[in-house]
Amino acid sequence: MDIVPQLLVNAAITGSIYALVAVGFSLTYGVLKILNFAHGHLMMTGAYLFYFFTVEMALSVPMAALATCLASITMALIALVIFVNPFDRYSPMLPLVTTLALATILESCISMIFGVNVRSLESGSSAESYQIGSIFITPLQLVIIGTALMFLVSIAFLMHSTSFGRRVRAMSERLAAAQAIAINSPAMKGVVFTLGTIFSVYAGIMIGYETNLQPTMGHGYTMKALAAMILGGLGNLWGTILGCYTISVLENFAVGLDFGQYSLPAGYKDAFAYFIILMVLLIRPEGLLSFRRRMA
Amino acid sequence: MEYILHLAILVGIYLILAQSCNLTIGLGRLFNLAHVASYALGGYVTALASTELEMGFERCLISSALVAGLFATLLGGIALRLAGDYFAIGTLAFASIVSSLLINWKSVTKGVLGIPGIPRPEIAGVALYDNVQFGCLLGVIVIASLVILYCVFSSPFGRVLRGQAEDQLAMMALGRDVRLINTLGFLIASVFAGVAGSMFAYYINYIDPSSFSFSEMVFLVTIVVVGSPGSFWGCIAATFFLVLLPEPMRFIELPSSILGPMRQMIHSLVLLAVVWLNRAKLFPIQREV
Repeated sequence: MDIVPQLLVNAAITGSIYALVAVGFSLTYGVLKILNFAHGHLMMTGAYLFYFFTVEMALSVPMAALATCLASITMALIALVIFVNPFDRYSPMLPLVTTLALATILESCISMIFGVNVRSLESGSSAESYQIGSIFITPLQLVIIGTALMFLVSIAFLMHSTSFGRRVRAMSERLAAAQAIAINSPAMKGVVFTLGTIFSVYAGIMIGYETNLQPTMGHGYTMKALAAMILGGLGNLWGTILGCYTISVLENFAVGLDFGQYSLPAGYKDAFAYFIILMVLLIRPEGLLSFRRRMA
Repeated sequence: MEYILHLAILVGIYLILAQSCNLTIGLGRLFNLAHVASYALGGYVTALASTELEMGFERCLISSALVAGLFATLLGGIALRLAGDYFAIGTLAFASIVSSLLINWKSVTKGVLGIPGIPRPEIAGVALYDNVQFGCLLGVIVIASLVILYCVFSSPFGRVLRGQAEDQLAMMALGRDVRLINTLGFLIASVFAGVAGSMFAYYINYIDPSSFSFSEMVFLVTIVVVGSPGSFWGCIAATFFLVLLPEPMRFIELPSSILGPMRQMIHSLVLLAVVWLNRAKLFPIQREV
């Protein structure tokens, strides 16, 4: 069982990345009440923009980060104005269709520009790794876990100690009531959507350093965020984050532990999240951390 | 000439697939994102039955339809308890599990390598190696499927399916078993998707998971939405339009790495434009009085 600490560390790394992706997904669902099927694709596009700025334009990392940040804000606002805003007041099913269209458009654009092969963001120090007991961890992985915690703490502060956070929570609680007390809901939607996109783009860049980038990577991360959100309760931010780490632990242990002849091949790692979605929808559709009933 | 025949066969397969998708997403407004999974199951059942078990054409076709139908019954039993976007999520999770199985269950599906060497169907001892003969066989199957689906669309059953999409409570108040009706609609749609998958496997002679990816599902949604959801003839026209739309691009000298994404992009732009124009009455259905 000496593999368990290493699996826990791996789970913490992937869980941190999932959490960064899912924060935006959950905030978008909470405030805009739509499932953004293009969330992972926005992340992928942002990461490719960073790749473009650092590798092809050869900018320094801070400059590239700034440029990616500005480009991601523009991208998120364009996506919101063209693909979500004209539709979401008619039916929640319409943004579902249009974000599917957005996802396909982003994926095909990126594969036309950068090709379908994997691209890797160069990180010089990836070769060496620290050893603590039986655990191996690279500096980059420490950075991922550390920054993810930092981001989550800052979101906690933002959501629970500022008037912005109170307004966001009011909107996700009951939109009509929030509008009645003069919360500027279109502006808030824009800010929340952009903030979520930036968080996920950061996660995408980390994925690019840790493994590599591929135009088809977006859908898988959308599904992970979706699974985490279903597990934690729709629009429930902390439930979603907890769900991310839970899914990450479960899939790492399911694939990593040796169950003799019943051990799962590594390829089934992703199927685990889908299985969780189905099980939660069947057994406790309101999410594990939600205490309000909903119509099923 | 060979190229036109290829297009005709492609359109034929998509006619069955899109029209059956139109039955659930269009007529019933059940946002079933697992339709491609039924299509994939049909394709893989035919591929396995004809290469490993060496079964004949009729038995392959029927077993494909049966397996797809069983899948739909299972899926319907689970997913139809959910409403609205939860239903879409549930079916999407189901479809993702199926595609994950296709990629990872290597001892059966051979993973991403796919199953090669599917023989062409044999009718009365004659193997249809020629595309013209295969096209005739497909034509018969397409017309038969469309006639059956037309009957379903215009039957009382079709009207109940359409009615529950507009107002489920009213349909229940009229004493209809909405869950049963929806499951049946699911079953019929999935059976025809299985038939389409079977014909696809026979035509291409080779099958791999990339033919049944999520973008294929987006393409089906595009066809149904562009053809006005629930409209039988609209769906047929949209199938012709959308399958043939990117084809002129083949004559511009573009590398194939650009061609595939370009095709998807054109489809998505058409989808966005059509949803934009019809946004007020697409979901939920609004009658024009």
